[in-house]
Amino acid sequence: MAEKLQFQSEATARAHEGEDEGLPSLLPRFGEEKFPWIQVWGYIGSLVLTFAALILVIDHVLPPVALLSVILTLAVGQAALQIGVFMHVRESRGLAWQMVFLGLVLLMAAGMVGMSIWIMLFKSGVS
Amino acid sequence: MSVPVAKEEMEQHLPLEFADEKESIKITGFWMFLVTDVMIFGSLFSSYAVYRTSVAQGPSAYQLFSFGPVILETVLLLTSSFTIGLSIYSMRRQNKQATIAWLIVTLLLGAGFVISEVHDFVGYVAAGATWHQSAFLSAFFILVGTHGAHVTFGILWATTLLIQLIRRGFTPVTTRKLFTFSLYWHFLDIVWIFIFTFVYLNGKIV
Repeated sequence: MAEKLQFQSEATARAHEGEDEGLPSLLPRFGEEKFPWIQVWGYIGSLVLTFAALILVIDHVLPPVALLSVILTLAVGQAALQIGVFMHVRESRGLAWQMVFLGLVLLMAAGMVGMSIWIMLFKSGVS
Repeated sequence: MSVPVAKEEMEQHLPLEFADEKESIKITGFWMFLVTDVMIFGSLFSSYAVYRTSVAQGPSAYQLFSFGPVILETVLLLTSSFTIGLSIYSMRRQNKQATIAWLIVTLLLGAGFVISEVHDFVGYVAAGATWHQSAFLSAFFILVGTHGAHVTFGILWATTLLIQLIRRGFTPVTTRKLFTFSLYWHFLDIVWIFIFTFVYLNGKIV
């Protein structure tokens, strides 16, 4: 009985090991540098993206819907920059499970925001 | 097998906030909290998206907003995101003075942001644009106010971390707390970028 249990726990351990090896995209990575260049470039990049959106709106060269899509795309780029550069998203003790949470919440939030807007504006032109 | 050896070696090179198993799991837990906070802001953004043109007798977004204070707030928050990044960078290099100094700079920039935002809100209310006025203003004040309340809470939280850092130095607990605070602060910066884009810039598109 005891042998069987031990065998089982060994198998579980091996399965976990296999699982870790099967998820190379979640393996943690740590960055080390002599000078915080990544932070400096991240800061410059975030300022450039922000002022690009601002100038686009002030100059108003694009039609409204295209303009909104472009500045929202710039905002998404900015968010990706903050998560990638400043939030150390790949750092973890074991596998970086937060990347799974983030992917899931993007899906759920996109569904929730999109569906809420759609259902609240449903037939609003009629009533 | 070489895998366990590599793991052990990796654990020895882990930054202090990940060194303790129980402390490091709290960082993963904090990511889960941020994910739920995304849902809160997502629902507030969707109600704003629906009501932003329902201005009733009140002012529209185009009439209400001005770029000056909003650009100031954006630059303050972006810079504070950079300085808390430098604080974490200094923490990794065991430089306590630089960590504390950058944390103080972050706090001051955050306080500047909140003061500017409160000044904006007071101005809107003085002009008669209260949240009773229209569905647009209700959605606006709740969305931007929730973000402002998050930043205010972050300032109070960081003040307690500052005291703990000065008194206890770098331990697995204080480094973990500062790291989760930095995650929170960058997250608020991301939310602000979407408020800046979708509320303020979009309000100026006719």
